[in-house]
Amino acid sequence: MGSRISIFAAAMFCLGISGCGYNDLQGLDEDTKAAWSEVVNQYQRRADLIPNLVATVKGYAAHEKETLEGVVQARAQATGIQVTPETLKDPAAFEQFQKAQAGLTSALGRLIAIAENYPNLKADQNFRDLQSQLEGTENRIAVARKRYIEKVAEYNKGVRYFPTNLTAKFLLHMEEKPNFTVADEKSVAKPPEVKFN
Amino acid sequence: MGILFLALCAAFTSPFVSFALALEVPVLTGRVVDLAQVLPADVAASLTRDLEAHETKTSNQVAVLILPSLEGEPLESFSHRVGTTWKLGQKGTENGVLLLVALRERKVRIEVGYGLEGTLTDLRSAHIIRREIVPRFRTGDLPGGITAGVHAILDTIEGTYKAEEGPSTPARSGGESTGLHYVIMGIVVGTLAGIVLSHGLQRTRAVLGSLLAFLVAQFASVVLGFAAAGVTAILLWLILQGGKGGGRGRGWGEGFMTGPGGGFGGSFGGGGGGFSGGGGDFGGGGASGDW
Repeated sequence: MGSRISIFAAAMFCLGISGCGYNDLQGLDEDTKAAWSEVVNQYQRRADLIPNLVATVKGYAAHEKETLEGVVQARAQATGIQVTPETLKDPAAFEQFQKAQAGLTSALGRLIAIAENYPNLKADQNFRDLQSQLEGTENRIAVARKRYIEKVAEYNKGVRYFPTNLTAKFLLHMEEKPNFTVADEKSVAKPPEVKFN
Repeated sequence: MGILFLALCAAFTSPFVSFALALEVPVLTGRVVDLAQVLPADVAASLTRDLEAHETKTSNQVAVLILPSLEGEPLESFSHRVGTTWKLGQKGTENGVLLLVALRERKVRIEVGYGLEGTLTDLRSAHIIRREIVPRFRTGDLPGGITAGVHAILDTIEGTYKAEEGPSTPARSGGESTGLHYVIMGIVVGTLAGIVLSHGLQRTRAVLGSLLAFLVAQFASVVLGFAAAGVTAILLWLILQGGKGGGRGRGWGEGFMTGPGGGFGGSFGGGGGGFSGGGGDFGGGGASGDW
C-alpha cells in the first residue's frame, strides 16, 4: 500500500534526522554562539573601563607617555576588530581577534605595573575602584573564555564523531570552529593582583 | 589476570584523580560552612538565621565558606568552582552569593551570581571587602569581619528580587507550562496512534470500495486521534500531579531550596538546618582582597 509506505518513510526520515543529531548539532551551534557573545561582551566591558583608567593614571604619571599610549593603541586595535558569530568559523579572523585582545591584556598589565611606582596613584580612591572593576572584568573574561572553550569542544566533537559528522558535513555544512589556545589562556586566566594596604 | 588488570587500573587512576582536583569543593552542609572553625557557635547560628530569613524574603541564596587553606589553588577559580558546584541562587534568577575566606593565604573573595551582578557589582563587592571585612580581619576579629561582610552583602542585594508569594503560586505556574507541554505531546502521540488505527479501517475501504466507508475511515481517524490525545494528556497530567505531590516546594523543574522541613526527595529533610543550592550560576563577578 502506497500510503502506508509513505507514512513509514516519513517516520523513518524523522527518526533518521534526530538519530543523526540534526537537532543536537543545531543546539550545539547555538550554544557556542551564545558563549561567544558572552566573551565579546566581557571584552567590551574591559575596553569601556580603559578611558577612565588612562585618565586617572595620567593625573599622577603623565610622563609615562609610552605606556599610556600603548594602552590607548591596543584598545583601539582590539575594539577595531568585530568578530560576529558567523565569522567565528574563520580561523584567521579568530586568530586576529585573539591577538588584539592579548595585546590589550599585556598593555594593561604594564599600566598596572607602573602604578607601583606612584604611591599617590595607588592610594587614589578612583584608581583603586577602577582597578577592582578591571580585576572583576578580567575574571569574568576568564570564565567566559573557559565556557566558550568547553562549548566549542562539545560542538567540534559533534562535527567530527560518527554518525553526526555525516549530518554536519552533508546536511548542515558545518565545520570545526577554532578555539582559544591554552598558551594564551594562561595569560588571561591570571587576574591582576590587588593589594589593600 | 582480570583482577590484576583492575588493580593496575585503580593504581593508575587514583593518584591521577587526586592530582587533577587539587582541592575538592567541600560538602554543602549549611549556609555557613566553617571548616577552619573560627566562628563561635552562636555567631554561626545567628548568621545562618539571618541568611535563611533573607532567602525566605528575597529568594537570594547567600553562603559563607571558611577554609583553613586553598592548598595552592588560585582563589578566583576555586571560588567560582564552589559557587557553581553548590549552585547557589535560584535557577532563572541566578541570585547566589558566596563569601569565601582562606585563612592561611589571608585572602577573601565575594563571588557574585549572574543575577546579582547589577546590584552587588564588582565595585560594591570590593568596597565591602575593603571597608567592612579587611579592617576587622586586620585586628584579628574574624567573626566580626565575616558578620559585617555578610550584613553588608544582604543590605546591598535586599531589594533585587522578591520571593514568590506563597509556595503554591510558583508550583501552579510551573505546572501549567509543563502541563501544556504534555498536552502537546499527547496530541502528537494521539494523532500518530489515530493514523495507525485508521489504517485498519482503511482496509475496510478497500473491501467495500465506497465513498461512505472512506469518509467513515477519515472521520474515525480524526476522532480516534483526538480521543487518544485527550487520554494521553490526562494520563500524563495525572503522573505530573503525582510527582509534584511530594514537595512543599517552589515549582517544577526549578531547583529546590530546602527550607525548614521542606526538601524534595528528603535528602536534607527535617531539623531546619538543611540547605542546598537552587540551581544558580556564576559568571566570575565579584571581588577579591587580602588582609
